[in-house]
Amino acid sequence: MEDIVIAILRSGTPLVYVTLAGVIAQRAGIWHLGLEGLMITGACATVLGIVLTGSIWAALLWAIAVCVAGSVLFWFVVEKLRANQIIAGLGLTGLGLGGTTLAVQSIFGTQAAVSAPFGLPRLGPAFGAYGSLSVLVVLMPVLVLAVWVMLRRTRFGLRLAASGEHPFAARSVGVNPSAMRLAALVMGGALCALAGAELATGSLQIFAQNMTAGRGFMGFAAVIFGAGHPIGATLAALFFAIVGAIGIKAQLIFGDRIPHDLLLGLPYIATVLGIWVSTKLRGGTKAANGFTELRNE
Amino acid sequence: MNERFVSVLRAVIFVLLGLALCGIMFQLAGYSAPLMFQAIADGAFLRAGALQQALRWSLPLFITATGVALSFRAGYFNIGAQGQFYVGAVSAAFMAEWLNGAPAAIVIPACIASGMLGGAAWALWPGLLRLKSGADEVITTLMGNFLAGLVLLYVTSGPLKDPSGSGQQASSRPLDAAYRISDSMGLSPTIVAIVAVVGVAIWLLINRTTFGVLSGLAGRNPTMVEWQGARTWRIGLASFLISGALAGLAGTVELMGPNGRLTGGFLPGHGFTAILIALVANFSVVGTAFVALFFGGLASAALYLPIMAGLPSAAIDVINAAIALFITAKSSLIDRIAKLKGRTWKTS
Repeated sequence: MEDIVIAILRSGTPLVYVTLAGVIAQRAGIWHLGLEGLMITGACATVLGIVLTGSIWAALLWAIAVCVAGSVLFWFVVEKLRANQIIAGLGLTGLGLGGTTLAVQSIFGTQAAVSAPFGLPRLGPAFGAYGSLSVLVVLMPVLVLAVWVMLRRTRFGLRLAASGEHPFAARSVGVNPSAMRLAALVMGGALCALAGAELATGSLQIFAQNMTAGRGFMGFAAVIFGAGHPIGATLAALFFAIVGAIGIKAQLIFGDRIPHDLLLGLPYIATVLGIWVSTKLRGGTKAANGFTELRNE
Repeated sequence: MNERFVSVLRAVIFVLLGLALCGIMFQLAGYSAPLMFQAIADGAFLRAGALQQALRWSLPLFITATGVALSFRAGYFNIGAQGQFYVGAVSAAFMAEWLNGAPAAIVIPACIASGMLGGAAWALWPGLLRLKSGADEVITTLMGNFLAGLVLLYVTSGPLKDPSGSGQQASSRPLDAAYRISDSMGLSPTIVAIVAVVGVAIWLLINRTTFGVLSGLAGRNPTMVEWQGARTWRIGLASFLISGALAGLAGTVELMGPNGRLTGGFLPGHGFTAILIALVANFSVVGTAFVALFFGGLASAALYLPIMAGLPSAAIDVINAAIALFITAKSSLIDRIAKLKGRTWKTS
């Protein structure tokens, strides 16, 4: 039992961080498909930071700085150049995936995985079997609550939501929706950096090409599944992590009968089912609706 | 100033902006940007035989991209071309395996049909989820890409595994030479004929049929089309199925032409590049042909860079991504140029 909980927390924590980034962006009116790219950038920057500076804190700061820079670029393209959010988001994801491969190749001369000598601080032996989890796992529920309070209980959160739902109304009371989106994306960038850091250095201490394997997109799906609510989306993300953990467990039990490549697909199937259930419950989402806008230019 | 010229101008400006961003990224990653661009231009278009290579990569890309353009025109964000491409190739490979020994005149058409059906089937479920319950096709088709990647891995390391393979990379048994539609250079009359048929058929479908007009309108204003009495869900489903079938056809062409076998994770950027081509070409079939040649050149440069210039092929991924970042952008400057000439053509 303990090992399953640990596996869920380990795979769920990066997913929750990236989901929170998606929630904040979605509240501000941005369907953020660049999460995947920012997350891999965060993972790469953390590992490279550790290898090059020898300090986890310097590495984290560096990762956050890079992801925030990427977010500002995304904001500029989407807000100032009025690009389509979905396509620009996919472009940002591609930049992250390609750029990290390029950076690793340029520094180490090979595309092989890079391992770091150490990773995020662990909880330590005082926590028994859970001692091998990183501090970001403990920080996760705190951050979920903090994001909930910020979005639902502060003036800033209200303005953010207004900018997303009704930018015109927001503007009429003196809120600048564009600036609010910048703030949302910058916060999201920092969260993606933490998601990447946890993924790469929370347990394995390694960076490999394309190691996010769609987690950013799953975070995006969790935002839809969780109706854009921080806690709902967190639960959705944890649900995807649970399905993933079940898949790994099933590999050990049925590995000889069910091909393991197909068991690896369980989280993706769960994501599709999650989207389907949430549209059954609440009707369709409008992420793709930006499209008529793209055609009507 | 005519509308077409303005849209070409806009595409060129934003592609150049994307390239500028790439230059910055190359420089930041520790490469010399001018050298990198020089090597890419050499690999894509300038070295001897480059155009032939560009054509080889652009033909399957053109097939997929026309399908993507059709579905985007109709207002559906089918970004699952990669998955449909894989499932198409896998279905064709199974058909070839099943019919192994039969005359090529039967096997080749059967494989093509099976590849197109496979691709269409992989577009059918996201299409139904979208049209029947409103599930966002962006995320379902994306997940479909990851699932199809796993199916390909499973097939190449399981049912169709080549027992003589090195084990380094999972791959299927090579196709019998009689069933190949081209050699490994990837250019043959059969492939050119397939591409020509696809190009003409989709051009006619878009420009000369009711479906083409209605689907184009549905992409701009679905409510209006619905009120006109057209059944938008039929248009939508047809768009999903045709785009899936074309991606599957491209997968079949890659399998039976230049590749000759399936390998785990082959052509990982195909679907994304096809989406880019459709967007840069502004969903026009003729435009897609030219733009596909450009991106086909980049795809061939991705092979040239590591071998001939010692540079990482990820540079091409970065270029494609940077173009994607900017390609849908709108610029007031271009609007002003358009208006300057007295045309009231709106761009926003």
